[in-house]
Amino acid sequence: MWIEGYKPIELLLILTIATFIYIGINYVLQKIGKRIPAFPQALLIWLGAWSIFKYVLTPPIPSALLYTYMGLVTLVIFLFISSTEKGWSEFKRPILNTVMAVTPVYKSVRSVSFVVLPLLIGYGTYDFNVPKFDEPIELRTVHPAPPASTTVRGQNFTLQTARNPYRVDDKGEYLPVGKEDKYFKQNPFAPDAKGYLLYVKEGGSIFFQNCHFCHGDNLNGRGMFAFAFNPIPANFSDPGTIAQLQETFVFWRIAKGGPGLPREGFPWASAMPPWEEHLTTDEIWKVNMFEYWHTEFFPRTWD
Amino acid sequence: MKAISKRMRVWSLLSLGAVATALLLSLVMPFFSSPVMADEATKAATEAAPKVEMAKDIYFKTEGPVSGQPVPELKATDYPSYNLPYPLSENRILIWSIAQQHLYFGSFVLAVPIFCMIIELVGLLTKDPVMSKKYDDLAHLLVKISLTAYSVTAILGGLLLFSFITLYPDFFKYISSLFRPVMHIYALLFLAESGTLYLYYYGWDRMAHGFAKWVHACMGVLLNVFGSVLMMLANSWASFMMSPAGVDEKGRYLGNIWAVLHNALWNPLNVHRIIGNMVFGGGIVAAYAAYKFLAARNMEEKAYYDWMGYIAMFMAVGSLIPLPFAGYWLMREVYGFRQQMGITLMGGLLAWLFIIQAVLIGALFFSTNYYLFNGMERMRGAEKYQKYIKYILFLTTAAFLVWLTPHTLVMRPAELKAIGGQQHPVIGNFGVMSAKNGAVNTMIMTTIISFLLYQRSNKIITVKWEAWGNAALMAMFAVALVNNWWLAIYGYFIPANVRVGLSVPQVVGTLTTLFIGSAINIAMMRGSKLTGLIEWGKISVRSQYALFALAVSFTWLMALMGYIRSSVRLFWHVMEVFRDNSPWAFTHTIGFAANVMSMNVMAFWLFVLFVFWLGELTSKHAVAEARKEAARPVMAGGSE
Repeated sequence: MWIEGYKPIELLLILTIATFIYIGINYVLQKIGKRIPAFPQALLIWLGAWSIFKYVLTPPIPSALLYTYMGLVTLVIFLFISSTEKGWSEFKRPILNTVMAVTPVYKSVRSVSFVVLPLLIGYGTYDFNVPKFDEPIELRTVHPAPPASTTVRGQNFTLQTARNPYRVDDKGEYLPVGKEDKYFKQNPFAPDAKGYLLYVKEGGSIFFQNCHFCHGDNLNGRGMFAFAFNPIPANFSDPGTIAQLQETFVFWRIAKGGPGLPREGFPWASAMPPWEEHLTTDEIWKVNMFEYWHTEFFPRTWD
Repeated sequence: MKAISKRMRVWSLLSLGAVATALLLSLVMPFFSSPVMADEATKAATEAAPKVEMAKDIYFKTEGPVSGQPVPELKATDYPSYNLPYPLSENRILIWSIAQQHLYFGSFVLAVPIFCMIIELVGLLTKDPVMSKKYDDLAHLLVKISLTAYSVTAILGGLLLFSFITLYPDFFKYISSLFRPVMHIYALLFLAESGTLYLYYYGWDRMAHGFAKWVHACMGVLLNVFGSVLMMLANSWASFMMSPAGVDEKGRYLGNIWAVLHNALWNPLNVHRIIGNMVFGGGIVAAYAAYKFLAARNMEEKAYYDWMGYIAMFMAVGSLIPLPFAGYWLMREVYGFRQQMGITLMGGLLAWLFIIQAVLIGALFFSTNYYLFNGMERMRGAEKYQKYIKYILFLTTAAFLVWLTPHTLVMRPAELKAIGGQQHPVIGNFGVMSAKNGAVNTMIMTTIISFLLYQRSNKIITVKWEAWGNAALMAMFAVALVNNWWLAIYGYFIPANVRVGLSVPQVVGTLTTLFIGSAINIAMMRGSKLTGLIEWGKISVRSQYALFALAVSFTWLMALMGYIRSSVRLFWHVMEVFRDNSPWAFTHTIGFAANVMSMNVMAFWLFVLFVFWLGELTSKHAVAEARKEAARPVMAGGSE
């Protein structure tokens, strides 16, 4: 059902279609004189949204986000029904009728409500306070801020201004970010590859010797060791990872690994070794190039 | 109001302009003297080389003569503190709260004169004498309210100054050694602004007619010029702490005050704050009107405060529309200055606060739309447009869903495992800037649609080209929305620096719908048949709570963003130059910070209630007349 590359659009389309189906059904029912009153309508919309976010959207979203979305839906339903006096009165009517017990049926509903609601609130309070042994929610910083400069193998790099020395064109000139797309569809393993492509090839070799076990041969974070970790290694093909970062950030992250993460990154939950102990700075720059070339993303720049 | 000749109007504007220029020129002269001094010092340095040490500006990378002391290396004991119970034992909590209150009132007293100036000018240009007086009285009432707030601002400013001197003496000594001339100019400007404000307020009745009225209106302009420059000077201190310039890496002043002032974030902060102040000021006045509406004892009062609330809301939301773009520019410059700061803000330590910001911004758009939907009910004939409410709400909700989805998800390890990685494959893509730009532009456009429908609510359009006009409007919104969404998607496939530029065509599309859409709408309404007049005062009570929600959201937003802006320096007083070695240099947890912000918001509203009450003591008689006039029904749309 979920098509790779179109998933976010699909979700928005599902929500749009569901809304128009609801409007259509409501229109038809109104035409035939069997309109659903405002109160049950509000409940139906709420349940419909809950079903989509809880069961249609896969993989399941974290509970914190689900509650946020449902809070939004609740607010919007309230705004919708109370945006006109007519709608608001219609919505309130069954509630007021119940409270005032205007008919025997409403009186029964009131009696049940007055018993059930305090019980539910009591259970909610108990449930909230009872000690639990579930894993706690973690507010993990995925991209902790890098330092202003970093020292790798005795060499100091200012991350704001440092450049990848291997980012060069065929003539050996520096290749500005954004100009490398001409190489994206070319074969770096061709015998005549030179300049940018040559370094991509070297970076690729280093990647497959060291990184792909975890990050995967498609760079999607699903290598053969990946599922031994939680979270699994970073998915470079996702537009939310290396595409959002400067090349120097990725360089720093590779060099320092999990142990080199700053305090603000706690809980670190990163098993990546500090690659400066195994690779030279040149090799790290080349791996960097391969990652961007393979995913066809551009590093972030600010000029 | 007596008619005066065009020549006299021009003359009054010119003379006031000349006065303002002369005053401001004398104030900015010191800025020009410093580079000259620097040049002379450079020359002197060349002639007598061993005497003047030269050093490099950390930001502009230019050479300059060392003209100040390096930043001191402080110890925890260098921060004298009161032995108050926690958390007041932290100096920064005291400074934080006092600065926040000062900023709130400062923003209010800077924003209200902007509204007064606009409303007074609208009154002057309105041909209907009744409406003209109504606008004039409203502007007068607003100045009266701001007058008390002005004194509170000054008192809080003094308190803040003393707190800096006593709680952060070495830091303040350093900052004042750099900004010495600016601080004096600041004090002089404050004097000029106070004088102009008192003249403006107390001269209102005496300068109510003819040429004098135009001079009075020009004084309103002058007041705002002083206020804006004042604010810009104060902004330079805050922006210097974030993005220092004009000093070397040891923090030594290099003799050029303009370089210190004109640091990387100064102008983005200036623009963002001016617009933000207007939004905030409009929100406070709207809340005042809502409070008065709810407390009104008769229909006349209700009608007056309903009208006032609408005008204030209109101004606040009008200013809100460009605010996200100014914020975007500021963030772009922050990233440009330091990648580290940008990531700390948007992707790292403070990222969750941006999600709270997103929620509050969403609350602003929802409140505005909701107020307009409810406002339609005071017009007969609005029923035909109410069927569109569900579509507007759906679009706004879908956009808001994208807008608030965080990049960094909060989850349990088991949920993390179920997702199969840190990034959710479906909603994970909503977490980045490209999606957010598309979302915020969509929310702005739906709000514009609501407003256009509101304008039409009590009219039957009679122009022959109605069908073409509607088609043009629909086509324009459709093209702008599709263009906006397409660019949001396209942004995922291009380099970040190009992506940032995509916001320009998105903004252009949004502003086109605003300006051209409003123009077409107004043209279509020309000669339209009224289905009824706006019955001011006949609006639901719920709508007034929406105005409160608007104002409180603004207040909370200011507290939140102020904290974010300040805490992004982490353990630096002055970023990468002057280290904060106080025992409170750590970053608080999000929960603790949120509690302090909320306390500040509550304290401000209590203060505001007091100020309003004070204003009420004197304003009752003056407003009574205006209320009677205001109860008169008027046409929908625009400001009437």
